[in-house]
Amino acid sequence: MRLRAWVKAYAALIRNAWLVDLQYRAAIGLWLLWGVTEPAIALGIWWAIAAGGPVAGYARTDFARYFFALMLVNQLTIAWDSWYLDRWIREGELNFRLARPLNPVHESIADNIAYKARSGGIILLLWLLVAAAWPAVRMPLDPARWALTAVAVLLSAAMRFFISFTTGLLAFWTTRASAIMELHGSLALFLAGRVAPLALLPPAIASLAGVLWFRGMISFPVEVLTGAIQSPAALQRGFAEQVMWLLLWFGAYRVAWSRGVRQYGAVGG
Amino acid sequence: MASGIMADRLSKTFRVKVRDPGLAGAVAALVRPRYRDVPAVREVTFSIAPGEIVAFLGPNGAGKTTTLKMLTGLLYPSGGRVDVAGFIPWSGGSAFKRRIALVLGNRQQLAWDLPPEETFLLNRAIYEIPDAAYRERLDELVTLLDLSPVLDKPVRQLSLGERMKCELAAALLHRPSILFLDEPTLGLDVTAQDGIRRFLTEYRERHGATILLTSHYMQDVTALASRVLIINRGRLLYDGQLDALVARISRVKRLELVLGDGVTAEAVGRFGTVRSFRFPNAVLEVPREEAAATSARLLAALPVADLSIEDPPIEEVIRQAFAEGSAANEGASEP
Repeated sequence: MRLRAWVKAYAALIRNAWLVDLQYRAAIGLWLLWGVTEPAIALGIWWAIAAGGPVAGYARTDFARYFFALMLVNQLTIAWDSWYLDRWIREGELNFRLARPLNPVHESIADNIAYKARSGGIILLLWLLVAAAWPAVRMPLDPARWALTAVAVLLSAAMRFFISFTTGLLAFWTTRASAIMELHGSLALFLAGRVAPLALLPPAIASLAGVLWFRGMISFPVEVLTGAIQSPAALQRGFAEQVMWLLLWFGAYRVAWSRGVRQYGAVGG
Repeated sequence: MASGIMADRLSKTFRVKVRDPGLAGAVAALVRPRYRDVPAVREVTFSIAPGEIVAFLGPNGAGKTTTLKMLTGLLYPSGGRVDVAGFIPWSGGSAFKRRIALVLGNRQQLAWDLPPEETFLLNRAIYEIPDAAYRERLDELVTLLDLSPVLDKPVRQLSLGERMKCELAAALLHRPSILFLDEPTLGLDVTAQDGIRRFLTEYRERHGATILLTSHYMQDVTALASRVLIINRGRLLYDGQLDALVARISRVKRLELVLGDGVTAEAVGRFGTVRSFRFPNAVLEVPREEAAATSARLLAALPVADLSIEDPPIEEVIRQAFAEGSAANEGASEP
């Protein structure tokens, strides 16, 4: 396809995703509430713990900034595709998608763009409202930092997308693809920095997060945004890790897709 | 081949995990999984010329859908060769997919919560259909399928028949030269079935498309296709004209009679086997080659108000074909 055709196809896919969203306003409100509640609860707990003074260098306002940044980063990078793929494969909804001259991965990417533009926009608005009243959650208006954050968020979103999509592809071989994704989500709760900044985790667990892809999923972009990471060397290392894990997961997606499609069909539909 | 279909010894064997019943069986399957090869399609060979309309017949699980999925590139065969419009389906890529349409009666591509027109617009983008062509084709499909009242209603509010019509429209906007239809009339009422059949006939006449459809409604076959492929247990049992099949399988003709006063079942029974008798109507079965002579004798001997000579219902012929095919297969495997 030429560039113009790609743009048209993506525009049409995103348009349809938004039109479907409009039909499910209440459900989307609930998902957003969930996206806000989890970091809000974590913040509440750390706020209480930090009453007597900073914890591992994090004062109350640091926690506030961390979890507000996390709220935004998580909504901009989260991917639900494993659940969709699992259903497409097990219930035969992949069939018509395979018969179209467009790899189904593009429909998923367009869906993600639609979802993230919508949810990220709402969270950003919410944040601006809170920041107007509560100086603790204001971020410095430093263009360079926001630009770095944008790159880190983009890499994280791409990586989380391919993790989710590839795990969903396991449905070609197993009926437990969603369970595997849930296990991954539980690990990410701790290892990606969703319940606490990684600096607060026991060293053994924190180092595990550094060895695997979890830090690059959420913690790193959040730290870039809040300014917790300042040294160019640490930034470089963080980006290098993100790029490496993105490439590895992209490779895993390519292998799983080409083998899975060959294997497809043993499960009816 | 411009838009023809060729399958040469096409086979597909699924590898299925076998498990004994009960908890012990579940644990055993986990520790040491056992597999069994299930042949779904066995060495099926046929070819379909461009513009031909062919019906694929067979009971559930016969291998119809599996064959269709191999022809459209969704499944990789375990053996054999396929050529569809000059492409090998599973490696034909976009160029191949633009040439075909696949309509699955039980799986829809229409977005459930949106009006059908949104799916049409999406397909316009995916298939890169120029605006003018899109408008012209949509107008044609809307007219032929009578879609104007449903275009702006969410798909979930449409009836099954309306949905199937919209499915067909969505699948035909890119003007494919080969249509694969899996059970296109499944679950529809008689009027809706008839509408779909008339549309398919009209579409083929206008655009010369090749159509391969599976169905287990005999009306689909008698109304649409003169040629049938009959498949059972993965094997092709028959490939040819429907009329020839009827002549080969059924050695009888039916005389449908409207009798005059006082004719009894016994009197009619002297001329053949009475299939039903509900005065004044009677149905008599006679050997195919004697049908004309018997009719003449019967008309001379009894008061008859009306007489027509018919083939037995196609369902019965097909059932007989399946029965004979299975018997032949079993005979072959047990010498």
